[in-house]
Amino acid sequence: MFHHPARILRKSALLVAAAMVLAPLGTLAQAQTNSDQTTSSTAKAERWLHVRVISTDAKGETVRVNVPLDLAEKVLPAVNHDRLHEGKIKIDSAHMDDVDLKAVLEAVRSAKDGEYVTVQGTENDVRVAKESNHLIIHVVEKGHVDEKGKASDAKKCQVEIKVPMKVIDALLSAGKDELDLVAALHALSTQGDTELVSVKDSENTVKVWLDSKNISD
Amino acid sequence: MMLVAKAALGLGGALVLAGAYTFHEGVIRVDVDEYRPNGSHVHMWVPAAAVPMAMHLVPKHHLQDAAQQSREFMPLVHALFKELKRYPDSDFVEVKDKDQHVMIRTHDGKLEIDVQDPGENVHLLVPLSTLDDVAAQIEASAPGA
Repeated sequence: MFHHPARILRKSALLVAAAMVLAPLGTLAQAQTNSDQTTSSTAKAERWLHVRVISTDAKGETVRVNVPLDLAEKVLPAVNHDRLHEGKIKIDSAHMDDVDLKAVLEAVRSAKDGEYVTVQGTENDVRVAKESNHLIIHVVEKGHVDEKGKASDAKKCQVEIKVPMKVIDALLSAGKDELDLVAALHALSTQGDTELVSVKDSENTVKVWLDSKNISD
Repeated sequence: MMLVAKAALGLGGALVLAGAYTFHEGVIRVDVDEYRPNGSHVHMWVPAAAVPMAMHLVPKHHLQDAAQQSREFMPLVHALFKELKRYPDSDFVEVKDKDQHVMIRTHDGKLEIDVQDPGENVHLLVPLSTLDDVAAQIEASAPGA
């Protein structure tokens, strides 16, 4: 009726060995499950900034950059170089070419909706406006104009920039002579899917946009 | 005969355990193929768990030098690898033209860098946890750390 002690010992040793071999596999499987859960939970709320440059020249270069805003928000404060410290950029000599950048942004922020700048020239059209809580900058470079006043398509360029005012508010939320990039990224992450920058000319197309996908179109 | 069988079982068990431990963190893979006369072809698979152990064998003054030189960038590197772990399968950078293709992405918790060029192909695959460990060890070996 009683088993031999050596046999019990052998069986126990075998069980322990099997458990030791299987334990890491179990942990791995659990880690994988946890990782899957984390991925699916972050995927819901994650906001991605995408940059795409497509060149139509002979080499046909395409550049795609996808950055999670959350990652940029966490990594940027770790960069301490030149004017960038703790996610804030110093603009102490912000009177660039006699333009006080912060004062201009502040003026735009506090102003009502409307069209601020409209320039219609032979070479460029420029429009700066504030519409439904967005700062909109629209530039059309008409390219070379010949003697008859006709613009050639060779260097035509169109730039459209659309920045939510919340982002400008956040940018200005740092102290004097500073722009808070981290706060601006955070404000950007609360925005819906939107196209921020679009540049089109005869050779290149640049697009910067925000959405919840972790891949470019 | 029984003794040999027991020894073989013990040895086999030890090998399985050692293998399971060595590969539980994955492998580092490096492939370099140079397409020119006498070009090198390097294909290397290293268990990632071996790297932090191997770091202990590096002379301390070399690690201190590395820490000193990379001091400015270490917080950035550390923050980047820590955050990248939250994105185990994502494409970050892709540059493509007629001849070349460069890709930086994470795949299955590993940082993957692929460069395809008519002159050479480089493929690098490193677990993010290994990169974080190495960065932490270099940071810890800085003088006064």
